[in-house]
Amino acid sequence: MLKKVKSSRAVIILTLIFSIMIAGCSSNNKSNDSSVPAPSSASASPISSNGTAEDKTLTIAWPKDIGPLNPHQYAPNEFFAQGMYYEPLIDYGEGGQLVPKLAESWDISEDGKTYTFHLRKNVKFTDGSDFNADVVEKNFDTILANRDMHSWLGVISQIDKTEVVDADTYRITLKNQYYPALQEFAVVRPLRFLGAAGFPDDGNTANEIKDPVTTGPWVLTEYKKDEIAVFTRNENYWGTKPKINKLVVKVIPDPEARVLTLEKGNIDMIYGEGNISLDSFVNLRDSGKFETAVSDALASRALIVNTSSGPFSDLNVRLALQHAINKQALVDGVTNGVEKVADTIIASNFPYANVGLNPYDYSLETAKSLLDQAGWKLAGGKTIREKDGKPLQIELVYMGDDEVEKPMATAIQSDLKQIGIDLKLTGLERQLRNKRMEAADSDLIFWSTYGAPYDPHNFVSTNYEPGYGIFESQQGLPMANELHQQMKDVLLTTDETKRQEFYTSIFTTLHEQGVYLPISYLTSIAVYPKYVTGLKFPAHRDETPFDTLDIQK
Amino acid sequence: MKISTYLWKRIWMTVPVLLGASFVSFLILRLTPVDPAKAYLAVSNIRPTEEAVSAIRAQLGLNEPFWSQYAGWIWNLCRFDFGASFYSKLPVTSEFYHRLPITAALALSSLLLAILVSIPLGIASALKKNRIIDHACRLLAFLGASIPQFWLAYLLIYFLSVKLDWFPLQGADSWRNYILPSITLALSLISTYSRLLRSELLKSLDEPYVLYAKARGFGMFAILTRHVLRHAIRPVVTAAGMNLGKLFAGSVIVEQIFGMPGMGGFFLESVFHRDYPVIQGYVFIMALVFVFGNLLADLIQALLDPRLTLSNEKGGGR
Repeated sequence: MLKKVKSSRAVIILTLIFSIMIAGCSSNNKSNDSSVPAPSSASASPISSNGTAEDKTLTIAWPKDIGPLNPHQYAPNEFFAQGMYYEPLIDYGEGGQLVPKLAESWDISEDGKTYTFHLRKNVKFTDGSDFNADVVEKNFDTILANRDMHSWLGVISQIDKTEVVDADTYRITLKNQYYPALQEFAVVRPLRFLGAAGFPDDGNTANEIKDPVTTGPWVLTEYKKDEIAVFTRNENYWGTKPKINKLVVKVIPDPEARVLTLEKGNIDMIYGEGNISLDSFVNLRDSGKFETAVSDALASRALIVNTSSGPFSDLNVRLALQHAINKQALVDGVTNGVEKVADTIIASNFPYANVGLNPYDYSLETAKSLLDQAGWKLAGGKTIREKDGKPLQIELVYMGDDEVEKPMATAIQSDLKQIGIDLKLTGLERQLRNKRMEAADSDLIFWSTYGAPYDPHNFVSTNYEPGYGIFESQQGLPMANELHQQMKDVLLTTDETKRQEFYTSIFTTLHEQGVYLPISYLTSIAVYPKYVTGLKFPAHRDETPFDTLDIQK
Repeated sequence: MKISTYLWKRIWMTVPVLLGASFVSFLILRLTPVDPAKAYLAVSNIRPTEEAVSAIRAQLGLNEPFWSQYAGWIWNLCRFDFGASFYSKLPVTSEFYHRLPITAALALSSLLLAILVSIPLGIASALKKNRIIDHACRLLAFLGASIPQFWLAYLLIYFLSVKLDWFPLQGADSWRNYILPSITLALSLISTYSRLLRSELLKSLDEPYVLYAKARGFGMFAILTRHVLRHAIRPVVTAAGMNLGKLFAGSVIVEQIFGMPGMGGFFLESVFHRDYPVIQGYVFIMALVFVFGNLLADLIQALLDPRLTLSNEKGGGR
């Protein structure tokens, strides 16, 4: 009898545990049910028989949640979401051309310090309020209150005062001449505009906003953190309205799962940099089921060559490196041709960067001869060159989990072995890799430029400012001081001819001194079914093409 | 000793364990060479200017001395406050609030599935030793132990979601979203539990009391359910208790592949971002789950066979 009681007690306990488990599942389901409704199907519905508007919904996959859509802050806000949602005063167009956006026009004073923006009239925020100089001032107030946080952006550090001239005119005065100011007004964050109703009570958006009130073409209508965001076309948008009326962003963290979701037809597009493996991109392209596209060069992938110590303090060794790497094989083999071979550190489609530099040819014989000249000789029976009894060993640091850097590093190792250089590969987690870079504690390290609209001016400031490891890596150059002075001067000159001369000199020195080994130009990719039309890659790295897309079934 | 006294004693013993785990995680994080302020700027893809690093360090309270930070954290913990995420600026508790139930549901459904499948498989393979069903179970155990979880996940998605359209592909919207991830996580457990149960059953079936029960005319079903199983299942209960924590902490890959916004992916990102408050909070919660899982297993053991607890408490052993 006693046994029966005990065993039934055990059964009751087990049943209770299982009930809790099931309750856990079901209560979770309930909470999900009560949340934002799921979006409509990925496909667009046909035109209704009575001629009412089409429902054109485009569904895309993104690896992360869009974030809180705070235009003045950084992570966890996703660049693409801030870029498509909020608008700048000035936009970055083809070839780096600056085009009016929320500012219809602008004047620059003769001394190059005062910028007067004539704001676009009749622009409304999504809550119906007016876009005017007062709201521009409110945005600049909170941005400048957090000036330290935004100090990476040159124009923020340069702002001396701001002024509301009248309802449609806003004036910014800089401390010094700073030519990239206009280009920097086009960046995605923090210089875009939130409607007054979106500000927290204290007016400081450093931590949060109340509501993502925008002047832009989209309105966030449904949102479930880490799962889905639905943007609906802003029917009161002042500019050309998007052709699709709904954009659904599904959060799918795993790249292979994104591909499977596209194949199943649950999403209409995969877009962006590195959102799927390059192998998957090629497989989708070759399947014939999808359209694929690759953008122009958006930024550069390169190796920073440390001239301050070790073998690369010798120019001939740096030049040998330039000749020894088969970039075409690297790009074809590792990126399946999705990235383009880079001959210069900044691609020629960037402002001031088309300076006619001659690319280094791939020539192992030239590389070997340069190493011989540098005193690194290959002794009989040995495979690694030596100088004063010391073998020619160098270290390349790469991001351990990066699916492109790792195989590229292996291929470079193989290339360098052919000319008698022993390359040691060190794969590190991102933050540890950053630490090594800041300390200039490697012979070679993978790095990529910031891209449009940040370059080339942001590239040069990254070169001359100490602390990031690039300035430190260039200390072995005999003309380092002169080069860095030119980099500072180019940002301050208002004379267009002089500016181009500075840039030509800077890019030529960097090229001739082999300070970087440019490998490839990064690109965005897009994969989509045939019914998605109108894809046009933006020139701006952080912008998206959703405004121009259409669905035609 | 009464079960309730035993339970209270065990609960109190968890306090030093949790404090120890929290202190070690707190210390290790601060010994790592990466500055969280710089990590935040790197994730934001902006240059770590001196002004920005110093502003963020001040904002995150990283300039405080170690003991002051730890004392503050413990004090807040007493008020169920894990602090605010360095990354999202939101309270860690609110970040956990919508993620923890998803991971908990996934872990518990996987464990439940593993137990429910393992018991009949274990019994069948023990009763039909070296017959076809035993060989089939052995093959399943072999597959479960050797197939990598991510590979199994992709196979299930490809065939059952993409090709056959039986299950949703991504998300955690309904109970149907949990089926494939649960199978993925449960398969390796099924292989362990079913083999464990089989071997324990075979041992127990040779015991004299089974022979005695047979002699008294009991049927095999009655012998199994009323006598043998409650002894043979004890190692499975212990393993399940230990696996509960492992399932909570180890579901990251499965959550990522199935697009489930649970704790796994969130924690992984927090590690990359050096988001101290989230990492500390997560370690604390996981320590709690591990302790609770083991406590639950011990409790079930004690209920299945009270002699264990009582005799251990008397210090004599069996």
